[in-house]
Amino acid sequence: MVPLLLVMLSVIGWPFIDTVRLSFTDARLVGAGGDFVGAANYQRIFASTAFWRAFFVTTEFAVVSVFVEVVLGVLVALLLYQNFRGRNILRALLILPWALPTVVNALLWRLIYNPEYGALNAMLVQTGLLDDYRSWLGDPNSALVALIIADAWKNFPLVALISLAALHAVPHDIKAAAVVDGANALSRFRYVILPYLVGPLMVALILRTIEAFKVFDIIWVMTRGGPANSTRTLSILVYQEAFSFQRAGSGASLALIVTLAVTMLAVAYAALIRKSAGARF
Amino acid sequence: MSTLDLIGVSKSYGITEILTSIDISLASGEFLVLLGASGCGKSTILNIIAGLLSPTSGEIRIDGKRINEVHPKNRDIAMVFQSYALYPNLTVERNIGFGLEMRGVGKAERQAAIVKVARILKIDGLLDRKPAQLSGGQRQRVAIGRALVREPKIFLFDEPLSNLDAKLRMEMRAELKRLHRMLGTTVVYVTHDQIEAMTLATRIAVMREGQIEQIGTPEEIYNRPATAFVAEFVGAPPMNMIDATLDADGLQLEGSGQRIGLPGKRGRSRQVILGLRPEDLHIADASDELVIGATVDFAEPTGPDIIVFARHGGNPLVASLPSHLQIDPESQTRFSFSIENMHIFDRATGQRIEP
Ligand SMILES: Nc1ncnc2c1ncn2[C@@H]1O[C@H](COP(=O)(O)OP(=O)(O)O)[C@@H](O)[C@H]1O
Ligand SMILES: [Mg+2]
Repeated sequence: MVPLLLVMLSVIGWPFIDTVRLSFTDARLVGAGGDFVGAANYQRIFASTAFWRAFFVTTEFAVVSVFVEVVLGVLVALLLYQNFRGRNILRALLILPWALPTVVNALLWRLIYNPEYGALNAMLVQTGLLDDYRSWLGDPNSALVALIIADAWKNFPLVALISLAALHAVPHDIKAAAVVDGANALSRFRYVILPYLVGPLMVALILRTIEAFKVFDIIWVMTRGGPANSTRTLSILVYQEAFSFQRAGSGASLALIVTLAVTMLAVAYAALIRKSAGARF
Repeated sequence: MSTLDLIGVSKSYGITEILTSIDISLASGEFLVLLGASGCGKSTILNIIAGLLSPTSGEIRIDGKRINEVHPKNRDIAMVFQSYALYPNLTVERNIGFGLEMRGVGKAERQAAIVKVARILKIDGLLDRKPAQLSGGQRQRVAIGRALVREPKIFLFDEPLSNLDAKLRMEMRAELKRLHRMLGTTVVYVTHDQIEAMTLATRIAVMREGQIEQIGTPEEIYNRPATAFVAEFVGAPPMNMIDATLDADGLQLEGSGQRIGLPGKRGRSRQVILGLRPEDLHIADASDELVIGATVDFAEPTGPDIIVFARHGGNPLVASLPSHLQIDPESQTRFSFSIENMHIFDRATGQRIEP
């Protein structure tokens, strides 16, 4: 056990410790080791507009896409919970977007958003909602929203599946009791379904927020953080700092800040779950 | 006029028939118990009455009016479920008042009704709690309170006591009886427990495989079971069932060949079952005419009675005797019974025969 633990600690711990060390140096990606510069990297990061801009872009991306995923996921779960013909086929299809590799999904949506032959432009212009083709990913005003839609489309099935499982856990008798008690559809959702949905949904929410906060690949494939840095999230910023600009030292500082932020998010969520669980039982 | 009528109610899932032409007519204030083994269709009947299921054919009437198409919430019916089915995140108070709240009854009126019902059920100290903070018995009371508060025309109970331990079950049984006396409401109550049925019911419907085998007062069901199935199902220990041939002069028991003379004359002989309740058997003395001989296997004292397990002509025979009697294993014993305590059933059809 002890040797195994040591191996694990060094495998996981050493890169982490080395990152911490790097973050206090002005090391370049290639070349000499760099000199100790104290907290200078951190000071520069917190003073830079690029960092704060990326922070807000990341937050917007995470909050909006997770919100859309949860609303869409729950609605779709409620729909697929009903008894109708073809329900099982739809349930199977539901998994598809989620099963798609992120890169494939990103390329798919790049095609959809394509300014010349994209399906979205074609659809909007043909239905008269839009006068002219637009470059959805090329416009700083629409690029982030376009990304959020692409990401939410891929990830809402996870929320839907978790919600569907939770719906099936609602005891039949309680649903029947609410019908006899005269509750309408909205009250039945509020008082019968929701209490059973909140717990699992909370877990989905945490998983998705943390993942969304770390988002990199879908953005890298679709916009590389552009145009005009309008979709540059923290992970993209870390990558650019460390690899594009070859500043390993401040790249490491930035990476640690992101890690810390995500960890704080996770801890806050965990506390929230404990609190809401305590209130309910 | 009757309060509740089921007329030729049937229910099928695909080709599987769950209920076959159920006819029930219930007067106001009656306490009907649907008694039967698990899976015989008791809950299905309740759900059809409540409107949670629709019958494949047949009609349901309340006060003579057809209600097949009426939504459950408009049927003036309240239901108590086996699992209690309390809303987990609402307080006891809101659980009880939920039906009133959903019907738009004002807060003050609601509160008054809740408090009144909570007092009757002795749960007025628990109104602020959540269901998870209650014991099984308390949850059951809340579930009953939720039904009572609406003052419905008909109460439906689906095995409400089966999740309680024996002592609590007995207490709640008495409580339900008291409530029914006090409120005089019409009740349809489902159980597989014959003691519950016998103690609570004004009428019992014994069910078997989606059909009503017999419907009658507890006394009728117990004293004059219409079929061999009902005879064996009701009573503990169950009725002794002895194969016999009924002929012109009386019965000839199979196995032992013993003859039991019966008054009157009958036509052709037929294959029957003789049913004798354990509590109708007594130790015979010389003057008794109707007697059956048996070899004792063992005896179990239960307190007030002693249950004697014996054999007659290779068939088991159980007798329930006063506990002061001394019964020795392997002893030969003669049990007497009286003619009015004999039950005779046609062996092919199971129907009761009056010899
Ligand atoms: N949705 C359904 N589809 C098919 N069979 C069902 C369905 N619901 C109940 N059944 C069957 O109907 C029968 C009667 O069920 P139920 O009324 O719940 O019995 P009980 O309450 O007497 O135990 C059972 O054999 C059960 O398997
Ligand atoms: Mg049942």
